[in-house]
Amino acid sequence: MTFLEKTTDVRKLRHWDGDMEAQYLYTTGIAGDIFFKGIMNGKIMGSKCEKCNRICVPPRIYCEVCFERLNEYVEVSKKGKIHTYTIAKIDIEDKRLKEPLIWAMIKLDGVDGGMVHKVSEIAPKEVKIGLKVEAKFKNKKERKGSILDIEYFKPVK
Amino acid sequence: MSKKVGVVGVGYTGFSSVTPDVSWKEIMFQAANRAYHDAGIDPRKDVDSFITCAEDYWEGFSIFDEFVPDQLGSVLRPTCTVTADGLYGLINGYMQILTGLMDIVVVEAHSKISDLLTYNDVLSFAIDPVFNRPLIDLGAHPYYIAGMEMKRYMSETGTTEEQCAEVVRKNKLNAMSNPSAGYEAKINIEDVLSSEELFAPLKRLDISPLADGCVVFVLASEEAAKKLAHDPIWIKGVGWASETSWLENKEWGRAVYAELASRQAYKMANITYPKKVIDFAEVDDKFSYKELQHLEALGLCRRGEAGKSVEEGAFDVDGVLPVNTSGGLLGVGNTLEASGLQKGLEVVLQLRKDAGGRKLPDVECGLAQSWRGVPTTSGAVAIFEV
Ligand SMILES: [Zn+2]
Repeated sequence: MTFLEKTTDVRKLRHWDGDMEAQYLYTTGIAGDIFFKGIMNGKIMGSKCEKCNRICVPPRIYCEVCFERLNEYVEVSKKGKIHTYTIAKIDIEDKRLKEPLIWAMIKLDGVDGGMVHKVSEIAPKEVKIGLKVEAKFKNKKERKGSILDIEYFKPVK
Repeated sequence: MSKKVGVVGVGYTGFSSVTPDVSWKEIMFQAANRAYHDAGIDPRKDVDSFITCAEDYWEGFSIFDEFVPDQLGSVLRPTCTVTADGLYGLINGYMQILTGLMDIVVVEAHSKISDLLTYNDVLSFAIDPVFNRPLIDLGAHPYYIAGMEMKRYMSETGTTEEQCAEVVRKNKLNAMSNPSAGYEAKINIEDVLSSEELFAPLKRLDISPLADGCVVFVLASEEAAKKLAHDPIWIKGVGWASETSWLENKEWGRAVYAELASRQAYKMANITYPKKVIDFAEVDDKFSYKELQHLEALGLCRRGEAGKSVEEGAFDVDGVLPVNTSGGLLGVGNTLEASGLQKGLEVVLQLRKDAGGRKLPDVECGLAQSWRGVPTTSGAVAIFEV
């Protein structure tokens, strides 16, 4: 048997409030350090796998395909194509956004990978898979070593 | 060594949007008791090992494992947690029995997600903190990833929004015949298509709503099963796989994890032509398009054809391959780590001819498949047979 008695009066149902304090400092690591130093200088960096003949973006110190250690870092194109996208109408608090936001996976030219980022300077209706876009960096003074140092990707004129 | 492992008992609670009258421990106790009753066993004497499937953050605990034994009947017994979907727990229990060390293993998975007040925030913690999570500062709800997947899947396969909406209609209708389902409804595809666009092309009704609930399985070796009341439902094959966690490198249009997991399971079950052998399937449908994408990944229909097939009724209860007769997660509710076990449960109930008003005639082999949800690229498959 499981329950002999259950509460049938919802006014008597109790709960206890709680929250979890959780703050972290995430180390960016060897490859991350190179990537974010690049970002601060207006560059996008990747790491090269000789064995697979691919450039991984974002860079990592290992190739997940062949498990080789990667040592060579190269600057890659700031231009690419929209691989897929969505037009978001709500934010993380489930609140309706004033203006829809375009999120996209951008495959950068000549590399394996790219960036997931915001797309701007285009009407949501005009966005298409395959659209050519490029990174728009913030002014150098405002950069902090974050993917948000790229303000958004915009259509290549 | 035991060669066969069977399901000899199942227990479950109803699945519902909230459960304010019972604690998460009581939900587990309820489902566990039903499973032990069903199997005709005493957990304090007859069970060799207990496995629960849980994620600390969903539970609101650190080291949740410690809070498992009491309400499962596993105090002072071998107990462990698999931090993954319920089917992973089932697979671990299956393997424990195959080692010959255990004869009877209990697998549990539950959701008390209504206890979590900040689901979106916890989910956003599943996204890479350095390379992706900063987008949340710009307002990115983590389900944007599903919107992007849906767009790519539709573009690669020619699947339409109408076809995805058909999945929602079918599953919610199936849930009408499942008294345990939390989100049953009779709707038409226009209702889905006109529901609020959230992460276009993903709309509100394309998303499986969260639910509470618990499922417990009792597994046994062939020898141990003989001594128990039920005719076992046998586990014929299992598989599981993960793609890369880089959003930048994963496949956006295909469910590679499901392709790999199913091939592993088919091989184990000696299945060459899954379409001929699998009579029905419960596949992950956390989002409408996932059901179609998963069916193609499982080789149960050709790539790009799932959409057409669902429109033609192929996956209806009376179709050539009934899919998600339970109502799926769109109709039952998304019970997170319990969702894979809920799928396994439906397969077992159908094979036992125990599925009430939604009972399928003449089924002998069913497949359950799970996906761990956004932003993961991991999932598992289990094949069951009478
Ligand atoms: Zn490589």
